[in-house]
Amino acid sequence: MAPLAGDPKTIVQDHINKHKVMIFSKTTCPFCKKGWSHDYLLFTVWAEFLSGAAQDQDICQISRHAENFSEWPDIWTDSIEKFGGPNGFLGGAMIICSLLFGQNFYLEQHRIKIYVRYPDMLKTFQNGQTFGPTVLKNLVDRMDFYNGGFIQSSLAEISGQRTVPNVYINGSHLGGCDSALAAHASNKLLPLINPSTDQYDYDLIVIGGGSGGLAASKEAASLGKKVAVLDFVKPTPVGTAWGLGGTCVNVGCIPKKLMHQAAILGHSLEDARKFGWEFDEKVSHNWDTMKSAIQDYIGSLNWKYRVELRDRSVDYFNSFGEFKDPHTIKATNKRGKVQDLTAAHFLLAMGMRPRYLGIPGDKEYCITSDDLFSLKYCPGKTLVVGASYVALECAGFLAGIGLDVTVMVRSILLRGFDQQMAEKIGDYMANHSIKMIREAVPTKIEQIEKGEPGKLKVTAKYVKTGEEFVGEYNTVLLGIGRDACTNGIGLDKVGINLNPKNGQVIAEAETTNVPHIHAIGDILDGKPELTPVAIQAGRLLARRLFGGGKEQCDYTYVATTVFTPLEYGACGFSEEDAIAKYGEENIEVYHSNYRPLEWTVPGREENACYAKLVCLKTENERVIGLHVVGPNAGEMTQGYAVALKCGATKAHFDTTIGIHPTTSEVFTSLSTTKSSGLPVDQAGC
Amino acid sequence: MVQQIHVEGHEAFMKTATEHKGKPVFALFSGSKDGAGSSWCPDCVKAEPVVKECMKFVPDEAVFIECGVGDKPFWKDPNNIFRKDDKLRLKCVPTLMRWGTPQRLEEEQCADSRLVQMLFEDE
Repeated sequence: MAPLAGDPKTIVQDHINKHKVMIFSKTTCPFCKKGWSHDYLLFTVWAEFLSGAAQDQDICQISRHAENFSEWPDIWTDSIEKFGGPNGFLGGAMIICSLLFGQNFYLEQHRIKIYVRYPDMLKTFQNGQTFGPTVLKNLVDRMDFYNGGFIQSSLAEISGQRTVPNVYINGSHLGGCDSALAAHASNKLLPLINPSTDQYDYDLIVIGGGSGGLAASKEAASLGKKVAVLDFVKPTPVGTAWGLGGTCVNVGCIPKKLMHQAAILGHSLEDARKFGWEFDEKVSHNWDTMKSAIQDYIGSLNWKYRVELRDRSVDYFNSFGEFKDPHTIKATNKRGKVQDLTAAHFLLAMGMRPRYLGIPGDKEYCITSDDLFSLKYCPGKTLVVGASYVALECAGFLAGIGLDVTVMVRSILLRGFDQQMAEKIGDYMANHSIKMIREAVPTKIEQIEKGEPGKLKVTAKYVKTGEEFVGEYNTVLLGIGRDACTNGIGLDKVGINLNPKNGQVIAEAETTNVPHIHAIGDILDGKPELTPVAIQAGRLLARRLFGGGKEQCDYTYVATTVFTPLEYGACGFSEEDAIAKYGEENIEVYHSNYRPLEWTVPGREENACYAKLVCLKTENERVIGLHVVGPNAGEMTQGYAVALKCGATKAHFDTTIGIHPTTSEVFTSLSTTKSSGLPVDQAGC
Repeated sequence: MVQQIHVEGHEAFMKTATEHKGKPVFALFSGSKDGAGSSWCPDCVKAEPVVKECMKFVPDEAVFIECGVGDKPFWKDPNNIFRKDDKLRLKCVPTLMRWGTPQRLEEEQCADSRLVQMLFEDE
């Protein structure tokens, strides 16, 4: 609870933007009291709004009871059902009270700020001595120190009014006590707070028809709202585009997993001989058969989403959307036809697109995952640039279907993932005919021969020495990262705050700094970039906005899987993140190599598969990280995610009897710790 | 004007569809009508007037094939050719589709004019 440093004017404006109803008041001001105290009209009016606006809302109001004023700070709270008398009373201060109308929130999450005049008042708060009901403790997020005089000056600058109470509704200045009472008397106050959405074409416009956007739009529509979805795919540099559904469906998870399966089946064919199957020596793979079958399936999904939207009366526009003003979008379709669409709320869900290297020849001759899954020809001898999960997964299945694959990595593999596991993935790939060039970057791509595929000459250099080398490939596939699609759609026009480092949208509970504009999915700053996360966040947001829902998206313990040739499942902290957060002495890692039974007969590796549990000693060895490389890692990890969310400890895992024979049972019998230094190589079952 | 062709059975359908390769082809598969002109399939009966009404949305150069799949016992056989053929894989009647694409409507969807219009108009 540190004092907040910052320009008072920015802070004031921020408050005005953030809250539907924002009242700046002063404890010693009788007109503020007029507005707020139970005995006065305005308070009665607010109770009226509440019962009309939504059921089951709690309002916490911090205000001041003038007669009991004695010392600083001065705060009490009251829940709306109890109005008729103060519930608790504390001290006196310059107070800023925010009422969140029309939004739903848990008592604990209510954003209440208490401004104290002198820093050492804070001590009183922390000791709870002057607290009335202990509910206040749960309510107060933080306490900020401000100088009241500067706030009043800022308010004067913004609205021309220096006196309090200074009332803002939906970001617009209303006035003081008289204005508020007058508005109420003429029945204008409630419509100001909850403006009718009849003036807009839609209740919600969703920009981006991907995993998050579609989920949110369908949820909002099921709650009776008028919804539109805009989805537009800007073709790649080589001209690839796709239908409704976003990255996951068209150029991500779905085709990736299917091609990964194609590669696994190829491997299974080899193993099959050892299990007694007899067939011709030569087994070959037809790229076109695989690609066409996968594209047919994707096409059926594109169509399925079109039908779903139409069925639920969600309007779909295959158009590019740009903000004209805070409530208007300019939608341009592929033929250049323009129309304006207005809405009360907007949801940004535009997702990301692959990044290019920024070297000569990259856009002309390289492809990305956006192009790979619908490539009209077999990619042939391929250089994959990058060490993202996209790069490694693609390299993995391309090698798995029999292609000559090289991966060029600038530094580490799978940045952000547990590095021990990342290296195991890399080792496995290197042992399975994938050439790895480490610590190198391409500097130039040139075309030697046109064709489908053609021949490309890649010039690269080693990062440490600068030494140059060349290579020849049919295809160069870039997997160096993805960038949020937040440029060129007018977000600056409406004042959306983006993280300058990565262009991603800054949001709190999926709402941006502009109260009626929300964001979900890959464009969100600091959240996992995964389809199920976007779907969950989108659904819950729609419920909160339109359905009286209160649940927030829980971004913790989100399980993921990297579908490299040796799959990697993870949930919770990486080992290094756990150590960084809790300290090495408080972490115990249990681990083991293991060998799937199915690998014995075909004679596959004994020590490639590995599992570990990262446990927190200070909480009874609660399992805070689970990591596994091995076949079907995704299926394995999903169930354990539930356990981790429930706070399972190592003891829970130990007392759970395993299913035999499976690979997942390894987690029920981990006994060797890393700290013991004992080896974990497999002897046998 | 959209060319409308009526066929009975799988062989006739495939022959007609192949003949019109290169044009957009729409197909409606329904339970065949009896001598009195009634289909045994109630959903097909519901869909017929809706599809007819939406014909105005079909592009002029397209071909519309109305295919009777056979009588009820034939259709109910889980191994009948309409279900087994990879290019068709019909799960039910009525099925309305844009031939050669994954775009299709099934059962009560065929009686929803919004969906039928969307199928006919889509590019």
